[in-house]
Amino acid sequence: MDELQVVEFVATYLKKKGFSEAENALQAEIQRNKSSNNTNPIDILNDPELSKFFRTFSESEDGPARYQDEYSKLRSWTYSSLDLYKHELLHVLYPVFIHCFMDLVAKGHIQEARTFFNNFREDHEMMHLRDLQKLEGVLSPSHLEEMEFAHSLRHSKVNIKICQVLYLFLFTSLHQNTYIVKKSNHCQSFYQYSYELLLQYLHKTQSTKMLGIINERINFQVSPGQPSSISDDAEIVTLIGSNQDAANQINQKEVHWGLLEDSLENRLEKTGLISDSEKAEGENKEAEIDENKKRPVEGGKQGASIKKLKKDKAINATAKTSRLEANTVSTAPRVKPDLALPVMPTEVEQSILEDLRNRVHLSSAALPSVSFYTFINTHNGLNCASISQDGSLVAGGFSDSSLKVWDMAKLGQQAVSSGLQGENDTTPREDIIGPNGRKRSYTLYQGHSGPVYSASFSPLGDFILSSSADTTIRLWSTKLNANLVCYKGHNYPVWDVQFNPQGHYFASSSHDRTARIWSMDRIQPLRIMAGHLSDVDCVRWHINCNYIATGSSDKTVRLWDVSSGECVRIFIGHRSMILSLAMSPDGRYMASGDEDGTIMMWDLASGRCVTPLMGHTSCVWTLAYSCEGSLLASGSADCTVKLWDVTTSTKVLKTEEKSGTNRLRSLKTLPTKSTPVYSLQFSRRNLLFAAGALSKTS
Amino acid sequence: MSIVPKETVEVIAQSIGISNFSTDAALALAPDVEYRIREIMQEAIKCMRHSRRTTLTTDDVDEALKLRNVEPVYGFASGGPLRFRRAIGYRDLFYLDDKDVEFKDVIEAPLPRAPLDTSIVCHWLAIEGVQPVIPENAPVQGYNFLWQNSYTGGLECNVVCGRLAIAAPSNGTNNEQKDGLPVEIKLPVKHILSRELQLYFDKITELAVSRSDSVLFKQALVSLATDSGLHPLVPYFTYFVADEVSRGLNNYSLLFALMRVVWNLLQNPHIQIEPYLHQLMPSVVTCLVAKRLGNRLADNHWELRDFTAKLVAAICKRYGHVYNTLQTRLTKTLLNALLDPKRALTQHYGAVQGLAALGPNVVRLLLLPNLGPYLSLLEPEMLLEKQKNEVKRHEAWRVYGALLQAAGQCIYDRLKIFPPLSSLPARSVWKTNGIVATLSNKRKTSMDLEEQPPLKKIATDGPVDAVSTSSMPTPMEEDATAATPLDNSDADHPSPSSVQIPPDSGSESRSKRDKGDSQAQKLSAILPQVWKDDLNSGKLLVSLFELFGEGILSFIPAPEMSLFL
Repeated sequence: MDELQVVEFVATYLKKKGFSEAENALQAEIQRNKSSNNTNPIDILNDPELSKFFRTFSESEDGPARYQDEYSKLRSWTYSSLDLYKHELLHVLYPVFIHCFMDLVAKGHIQEARTFFNNFREDHEMMHLRDLQKLEGVLSPSHLEEMEFAHSLRHSKVNIKICQVLYLFLFTSLHQNTYIVKKSNHCQSFYQYSYELLLQYLHKTQSTKMLGIINERINFQVSPGQPSSISDDAEIVTLIGSNQDAANQINQKEVHWGLLEDSLENRLEKTGLISDSEKAEGENKEAEIDENKKRPVEGGKQGASIKKLKKDKAINATAKTSRLEANTVSTAPRVKPDLALPVMPTEVEQSILEDLRNRVHLSSAALPSVSFYTFINTHNGLNCASISQDGSLVAGGFSDSSLKVWDMAKLGQQAVSSGLQGENDTTPREDIIGPNGRKRSYTLYQGHSGPVYSASFSPLGDFILSSSADTTIRLWSTKLNANLVCYKGHNYPVWDVQFNPQGHYFASSSHDRTARIWSMDRIQPLRIMAGHLSDVDCVRWHINCNYIATGSSDKTVRLWDVSSGECVRIFIGHRSMILSLAMSPDGRYMASGDEDGTIMMWDLASGRCVTPLMGHTSCVWTLAYSCEGSLLASGSADCTVKLWDVTTSTKVLKTEEKSGTNRLRSLKTLPTKSTPVYSLQFSRRNLLFAAGALSKTS
Repeated sequence: MSIVPKETVEVIAQSIGISNFSTDAALALAPDVEYRIREIMQEAIKCMRHSRRTTLTTDDVDEALKLRNVEPVYGFASGGPLRFRRAIGYRDLFYLDDKDVEFKDVIEAPLPRAPLDTSIVCHWLAIEGVQPVIPENAPVQGYNFLWQNSYTGGLECNVVCGRLAIAAPSNGTNNEQKDGLPVEIKLPVKHILSRELQLYFDKITELAVSRSDSVLFKQALVSLATDSGLHPLVPYFTYFVADEVSRGLNNYSLLFALMRVVWNLLQNPHIQIEPYLHQLMPSVVTCLVAKRLGNRLADNHWELRDFTAKLVAAICKRYGHVYNTLQTRLTKTLLNALLDPKRALTQHYGAVQGLAALGPNVVRLLLLPNLGPYLSLLEPEMLLEKQKNEVKRHEAWRVYGALLQAAGQCIYDRLKIFPPLSSLPARSVWKTNGIVATLSNKRKTSMDLEEQPPLKKIATDGPVDAVSTSSMPTPMEEDATAATPLDNSDADHPSPSSVQIPPDSGSESRSKRDKGDSQAQKLSAILPQVWKDDLNSGKLLVSLFELFGEGILSFIPAPEMSLFL
């Protein structure tokens, strides 16, 4: 704001309010001030000399050093505030910091901006390292415009929740601070009354920077009551580009997270117990009408399924809780598919049913067996690994544009004959054998012209999709060992591709910031999901095929409705790029893992984070839910597979949804021998397969 | 202001042929260059993440450039991580260490071997949540606990049945149980040992028994010293070693191989061998102080004893603190072996070596007090007149050499701990010695230069020569025998230094030696007064000197030497 205008405003304000005395005093004061400097009295309001004076006066004050001064004052005041308030106040500090920096850059004080940034960046490195790294490079006003992140920051407000006490506290303190400083510097020259009047003005010149930034950039949501505690980390300030209100609005939309109406699991239960399932159906219909109401009462009422009871003998002592757990799948509401889904051949259906009957029941007391496929001699070229549903096929995508598929059944045979590998006998096999007469132990698929970033098996293992930096997705047949289709549509590298749980459809995500839905028989995408602000790094289907979830470099996860192509949820909370996603088999929860090693579990219905899972120290490459949804497995670049107990958390959520302390439990950490874990897959019988490339560097 | 200095921009501009490049333009460009570089790096990091890596490679940068429709930078394809070097004098400046390669050499060089093809191996990371202890898995942290279990469970059976057994890892829900076959012997306890481990054990034992000199065995030893999954095999190895040692005392190469196996097991950081020590020690000590090791004359059992002494010392050093009685029991055994005159000389040798390896303190406390009486016993064995048997005499010389070395090492250590005396008193000593000092100085240098090597040699090789040329005494030996009676000053025991005198300079050196001896006597007189502050070591040195003659002097470090000469 122009200084002259300020004076005008002050003058008009005084006039309007009838503070004529004050107005006169102001004028007189300014004149006096003027005369003491220039010795010729002038009319204040219209005189260019005066405005020039104000300009020079403010210029000296307006220097970039002010930012540094004021920020450091604000900072030291914040740090020395009461512990009770500190946490909330620290939230204010970060947006003020980056806006100070961007203001400095925008005004062209590059050198000062740099020193300012370097002086204070340490404070925020822990929480916002990646943002800082991005911003660090901004060195000219044009960069601010060009860089999307900075641009969006400057054109949106940050929402900060703050309690009332603090709100007042903060502002009074800002005034107080400057008051004291000001007083010592300038008050001598003014007599009492005009001092009182000009005080506010001086305030403004003195602390405009901070006040201005806070007024302009931050939207305080003043809430009555006590300040929130530190544990409420989910509400942490994330400076996303999109308007948070819009996100909230989107999250109001309804999500039908239930299972498909006649999934095989469902059918199995029906054959198992007719009366109960009917009862469940009835309740589920009701549940669907009013989900939110239902949730707290859900679960405990229904009798446990026979299947579960049989297996639960071991944990009979906790029969009630186990019933509760076991029912999470069966109580999920049923929804109709929006897509026309393919029909499964009956023999396949039979084999799946067989698998389901023989499924090992996993819980915190019964952990899964993990079979690990180690890629050796990859020469740093392995970009992704994928394991078919039954674990018999393993695909690796390489940076030399090749896709290699190993048939573990065959490998097992070779190994058994040589007497060295007797262990993978229990690997469930189906009659999918990639014909392969060559000496190589794998089938080589060549066709891409860039690094292969992702591969996905169809549910039956007869097709593989691969996505590559050459912007294409290719469909390969494992029966024919040939490339069937090349899907062109994305404009930039395709980071991830994923088959629908029922087959036929698939989703892809790309550097072009879109996710797309395809069907195998069309070479054009069926839907394009646009909305992410940065690369879409990973994509997963919801279990009922009506939704897809995408994780992005903009640190959000979004849920999209497949039939309408709309974004129905935005999940905000991660602090770095999302690398992996997994959907719980009951369709209610989703887990996402990021670059820092944080895993977050989300409730799809509410769009809120159930709890963050801390433990990994490096990128979480992959996540997988066990078939009944009681365990979550995560594989990371820190060379471990971790197993998390997610049943307890959901239980806690049901009973005491509001408590912020329900951390999920890490059950077990399985370290590998310097092998980062690229891929995890639970078989239908709940055997966990993991794959990774041996890296000698660590 | 930007981290790219404007000079860099100017240099680049020049390099692409822009000559009239204004400073202002460079200044304006520099921040933009930095911004673009950061932008590219950001994209490169994305590519790195999608390649499931945590280290950035040049390929990632190339991909990022492609994303921006920029021609990638050619010529930096890297097979592995780049090796950066820090520029000398700068804290944060690095450069690539690229070697100049002659084009011709590259063309003429034979094709390198094709890299191995990618393949997949499969193993159990966990079985029902429990990680099996196999080499493919990372070593388990909470090993000790598991270990104690198997110790108390398994070893009890060991002791009782004299057989081997391993307890199952904690809660024995191991799938491998199905195919876990018992090895070799019938086991009292159903044990679990993966087939891989069984094969591994069989292979190693076979190598140790039959092909201990092959390259393969060396690699097996390396594997023993490094592999993490071997813990279940430790009791088997202990038993194997004990068994083979008791059976194969005649087989020198086998014994040596076994000791090397033990040595490498000790080196393995993932193995807790301590609870098995009580089983291992007897066989190890056997290899140190057995009467006969190997049945052929050519078998260099001395070397085996030396090696075993080292091994014993290593064990004591590492486990002495957990196993309190270990060292005392060991030293007692060794000392008993040494002081029993009925024992063979080879046994004495092993005992001396074992004690010596335990460190100078042990030598000082246990060996030195017994030195006098023992030498008087040993001395007749060493003389040609009294001991006609070549082999016996050789052995005696061996023992003598070992004793000398042990005592020497001890005194050397002793002297080392003295604060270096200022040169002043040394000079005064020099002056009092007058001419003798200069003489002795000359002598000292000559001894240092010429005689030290042969002196060392005598401790090890000299007698071997004597044995090899047993039929006809060499001039050297003749000289030695001739020299001994001449040494009236210390005729009561043979001086080893007499042997070391080169035969060609017979008489001359003898006269020199006489001088040396007389001077040495003086020296023994001077010693106490020089080191009044530490009478003990002075006396020690004197007594040692009396016992060994000049041989001991070579162990005294040069400054001290010059000091008391």
